Amino acid sequence: MTSMDVQIRKTAKKYLDEGKVSCVIGYERDSRGRVRPAFIEKPEDADHLIWSSECSLNLVTYLHQRKLSPGKDQPVPKTAVVVRPCDVRAVNLLFAEEQIKRENIKLIGLTCAGTEINGQQRINCKFCQERVPVIYDVLIESDQPIEIPTDKDIYADLEEMESWTAEERLAFWTKEFDRCIRCYACRQACPGCYCFECVAEQVDPHWTSIALDKPEKMFFHVMRAYHLAGRCVGCDACEAACPMDIPLSKLNRKIAKEILDMFDYRTGDTPEDAPLLTCFNPDERLRT
Amino acid sequence: MAKQFEPKIVSFLCNWCSYAGADLAGTSRITYPQNIRIIRVPCSGRVDPLFVVKAFLDGADGVMILGCHPGDCHYQQGNYYAQRRYSIMHKLLDFTGIESGRLFVDWVSASEGKKFAEVVTKFTEQVKELGPMVLNGNEKFLEEKLQEAVA
Amino acid sequence: MKVLTQKKLNAWLANLLQTTVVAAPVEAQGKLVYRKIDEVSQIVLDFERTDMSPKTWLFPMTEPILFIEQGVETKLKEPPKPEPIVLFGVRPCDARSLLAFDALFLDKAPEDPQYARHRESTTLVGLSCPQMWESCFCTAVGGAPNSTDGLDILLTQIEEGYAVEVLTEKGKKISANLVFEEKKTSLPDPKLIQGLPSLSKTDEWMALFNDLYWEQLSNSCLSCRACSFVCPTCRCFDVRDELTAIKPGLKKFERLRAWDTCTASGYRRIAGGHNPRDSQKKRLRNRFFCKFMFYPDDFGPLGCVGCGRCIDVCPAGIDILEVIANVEKMTEREKVGG
Repeated sequence: MTSMDVQIRKTAKKYLDEGKVSCVIGYERDSRGRVRPAFIEKPEDADHLIWSSECSLNLVTYLHQRKLSPGKDQPVPKTAVVVRPCDVRAVNLLFAEEQIKRENIKLIGLTCAGTEINGQQRINCKFCQERVPVIYDVLIESDQPIEIPTDKDIYADLEEMESWTAEERLAFWTKEFDRCIRCYACRQACPGCYCFECVAEQVDPHWTSIALDKPEKMFFHVMRAYHLAGRCVGCDACEAACPMDIPLSKLNRKIAKEILDMFDYRTGDTPEDAPLLTCFNPDERLRT
Repeated sequence: MAKQFEPKIVSFLCNWCSYAGADLAGTSRITYPQNIRIIRVPCSGRVDPLFVVKAFLDGADGVMILGCHPGDCHYQQGNYYAQRRYSIMHKLLDFTGIESGRLFVDWVSASEGKKFAEVVTKFTEQVKELGPMVLNGNEKFLEEKLQEAVA
Repeated sequence: MKVLTQKKLNAWLANLLQTTVVAAPVEAQGKLVYRKIDEVSQIVLDFERTDMSPKTWLFPMTEPILFIEQGVETKLKEPPKPEPIVLFGVRPCDARSLLAFDALFLDKAPEDPQYARHRESTTLVGLSCPQMWESCFCTAVGGAPNSTDGLDILLTQIEEGYAVEVLTEKGKKISANLVFEEKKTSLPDPKLIQGLPSLSKTDEWMALFNDLYWEQLSNSCLSCRACSFVCPTCRCFDVRDELTAIKPGLKKFERLRAWDTCTASGYRRIAGGHNPRDSQKKRLRNRFFCKFMFYPDDFGPLGCVGCGRCIDVCPAGIDILEVIANVEKMTEREKVGG
């Protein structure tokens, strides 16, 4: 048990005891020792909460389950959520898109040295330049110094792909998406994907076949990446959730790179940022 | 004699500017390549990037979107949104292997019949040079679709 | 027992490849799946569990079940009969899942014609497990690492090669030209995992239907479809008529059947918008009840073979074995009157 564990538990207990929230979403270990999400509703259960480098799931997705009133005349539930710096920008996105209200959420921010899946550091952690969340109600700091990686070559793999021919890129993606089973785990794990009915499942208009193994399924991913343009915070929950280990984050990182370059914009820095594609500058002339 | 590749180009033209420009090209008897299939939309801002992807999936070799000049949109802002969307879409499609030369977005006003013809000619040549759109693995599927359609 | 050396096995497979399609575990971009092979060297036999189960060969991910032409008249055409295949290297748990499929698609009228055709033209050659792997629990649901259920031939790896048990007529047919050596030793016992929870009976599950446990469990479920898609027994599907060609006066459709799952939020939504399983709790509860209560009550076999793939794949860490253990605990508590 680390000092961070102690502080997280103390904060959770306090919020629940004082009735500030009805649920604290955090991380716990299961009977096999694996880390999984915890939904703490009673102060005494707060002792399940932990924090370690294995906590790789983005918990902000679960706020979508608690953003509506559960019934007639009932208030929207208040929730506290344990957030890493990458996660918390997703919270800002949801504030900006008016999905959740600031007063219903308590953010237990953590300083983070990076998380890993199966012992391997996640891609977004390797290049993360921030170790402190941009917004929080309580900040729980690690007692170990957190290093910002000096390897600034964030886009090395993308630049390499950009140097290939279009045919080679197409071949690469066709190969990667060949093993996609269209389970939609990527979409479900993403805090930015919350459409009631996804275009990929619409019957009318019929955008794409329900076929799970036709090559055109790659375009579900292209469209999802496009719908997240200016909205993806780079938490890589999609890649972490994929049962077939497809490098989905490359698509999102490519878009984020272009957006940073063209508009000097990064998603989720403040809760007031209007979503990028819903605004414009009348003087801008972009290369279309 | 080998049949020369004639690309299929889907064109989204906005009702108030570029579609009228295309009409003007026609009434002025300016010739331009016949590869384009025109779909009239109220505004270039109506063109959902999903349309573009669907067009490529269904066999288009190129997609062209023409709207009003920025500042002149009939609906004030539609073309600004289109401008933002397609600046991003271009990069994404190129990254996934659909060459950026296959998507063309430009501004043509109702009085620019000549420009319309020039733009269409230039884009058709561009797509001809790029060759048929072949989504790896999809070619068999598209071939079958084509066979069924003409059968 | 009958024994085949590795060399003889490879020769037999190479021979089979001349006359029939063989699907076996191969590596596809780092994942182990059952695919058609062209050469025996592509087969991977040294694995614990494949990432996707072989059910893809009997119940394909996407399958046209009807072709429709709508013109002046409407013409219907059935899909072509599948070619005979040999599914090689099937683990006993994956083979047992066929008992669940047969109970629904074959044994209960009306028979599913697609599945029946695939079943008839597929011969299964199994590979028994020398031990239970990390997330396995086949013994808790009536199976075993060396079970022969659902298989036509079972191979067990031994020092000299493979011990071969030919189990059915289909198995006899494809092994007709094999010459085995006879050895007097008996088959090795697989290493089992001890201390697995015991599965509660269907009426005990029913008694817990309204327990708060399902609400707590489903909090972390993302309603993705990963668990059902890797599961060897899940068999729910969606059917859509999709336009494939259109020209003046004629429209062509294919009726496509594709995998779907009860955990997806729109699965049970009906025309009009009503959704009897509109909450995560109801959907996840249904998943477990279907496997351990509804399905065995309605059709006989359990809906789970203990392969453990869902445990490995769930992004939210939901563990079916933990659910079984908790149900056992809750049942005990009920019995004691707690």
